[in-house]
Amino acid sequence: MSRRFTSVLIGGVLPALLALLWEFAARRGGAASYAFTPIGQIADSFVTMLQNGMLLGDLWASLRRTLLALLIGGGSGLLLGTALGIFRPLSIGVSPLINIFRQVPILGWLPLIALWLGNGDGARLLLVSLAAFYPTVLNTQKGFDAADRKLIEAGMLYQFSRWQRVRFIALPSALPLIFTGISQALSFAWIATIGVELLFSASAGLGTEMVNAQVSARTDIIMICILCVGVMGFLLNHGLMLTRNHLLRWHRSALGEG
Amino acid sequence: MDKYRNFNHQTHAAPSAGSTGAVRIENLSKQYRMGGKALNVLQDIDLSIRPGEFVSIVGPSGCGKSTLLRLIVGLDSDFTGDIRLDGKRITGTSLERGLVFQDHRLFPWMTVARNVEVALLNQKLPRERRESLITSHLELVGLAGFADAYPHQLSGGMAQRAAIARALVNEPKVLALDEPLGALDALTRVKVQAELQRIWMEAGTTMIMVTHDVDEALFLGDRVVVMSPRPGRIAQIVDVDLPHPRDRASPVLHRLKDAILAELTAEPGKGDAGLVQFPVRPRS
Repeated sequence: MSRRFTSVLIGGVLPALLALLWEFAARRGGAASYAFTPIGQIADSFVTMLQNGMLLGDLWASLRRTLLALLIGGGSGLLLGTALGIFRPLSIGVSPLINIFRQVPILGWLPLIALWLGNGDGARLLLVSLAAFYPTVLNTQKGFDAADRKLIEAGMLYQFSRWQRVRFIALPSALPLIFTGISQALSFAWIATIGVELLFSASAGLGTEMVNAQVSARTDIIMICILCVGVMGFLLNHGLMLTRNHLLRWHRSALGEG
Repeated sequence: MDKYRNFNHQTHAAPSAGSTGAVRIENLSKQYRMGGKALNVLQDIDLSIRPGEFVSIVGPSGCGKSTLLRLIVGLDSDFTGDIRLDGKRITGTSLERGLVFQDHRLFPWMTVARNVEVALLNQKLPRERRESLITSHLELVGLAGFADAYPHQLSGGMAQRAAIARALVNEPKVLALDEPLGALDALTRVKVQAELQRIWMEAGTTMIMVTHDVDEALFLGDRVVVMSPRPGRIAQIVDVDLPHPRDRASPVLHRLKDAILAELTAEPGKGDAGLVQFPVRPRS
């Protein structure tokens, strides 16, 4: 417990130092005070934004977009990855295409999608879904390939059918990598959401709020949004890791990490 | 445990339950192809195993003894000759023929009980019967209290016993054991050998065990098949005419051990003697 406390303390040193530097720059006056809003003022704005519901509204809009895209992109990635992992011939036909398209950065699709769908919610959702799609499809497929030949042999001794092999051997073997894919997808989707909101202004969202704040030169709001994006992304990832560690208890300990 | 006690009074006979489980291997040969060249792994193996018998197979690395087990259980069907179980030619794997590997190969994501249950997946059994089979086999291997443990929570000896329970739960007619105790430390090994002897006596299943360890082979086997390498063939079959359970200190076992070691080390010519390792930490 005290060890944990110490590590939190040490982890706090760098942020505290940065905040100090920031405050120092803000108080020096001149051009710097325009670029760096004093921390007190940022805190005030934070309270105001919390009270008038703006921050929570933006946070919810971005979060909702991310999770919806995770469901659509991650879900279809999971399905396709599973199909590719189980049916070899399908993988031979489809994998090259995926491997070419995944080299295109998400923002590389933006002009085309903007032409097709405009810059509405549909376009935003599609782009973020795409960000969630690649990591899930690739990791899921790799996961199904990871099934241990030795365990498959054990299944053969007990006359496992093809379905039983998938259900009792291939799928559990794939789970660790599937989780890796989902956690990558979540990170990518969150990042892509903010990026897409910056580029395609939406009615609400942390990215949109940042663009608006830039126009009205509100450094404090930009800083609040940046911190929100960082903290929220961290929390999402952490939550998923906890879920993963719980569901894959056998795996974690089997690897000697537990 | 009653069965165990009854057995004490019998001598060399097979347990009464084992009225089936006769394995007959005739004229068996197997080749591997390596870079276009044929390599004889097994050559002209003839072996007849009585129902309920415990047969140990020893031999230096590369004598094909593990391959022989894989052929018997049907994991590999690329061979010439004949393998029959109770007169029927074997094809592919079957619930009648079990195998315990050197590594326990339990599914890490299932508890011990589920690992045993999964072996019954393709047996149409009523639920209660299935449950009672699982329970009784966990008891048989002394793991009754560990039904809900995951494999990583077990010691090596316990995991191997769980694997034996899984292999026996289908009540196979013949159980092949491929260096089942090879990965255990010396002390655990001696304990599990005694366990295995008791399990065999209770279950009455025909067992064929491959091992590197001549002491182990003699302690458990009704007969010890000594194989020689390149090509793998049977060099000698030693009868161990001692009742079970056995005393390790028996002078008969010691005399037989000397004879087998002499056979294993007296390979003429090539100096193969150096390849025999005792006691062996098997390669994976």
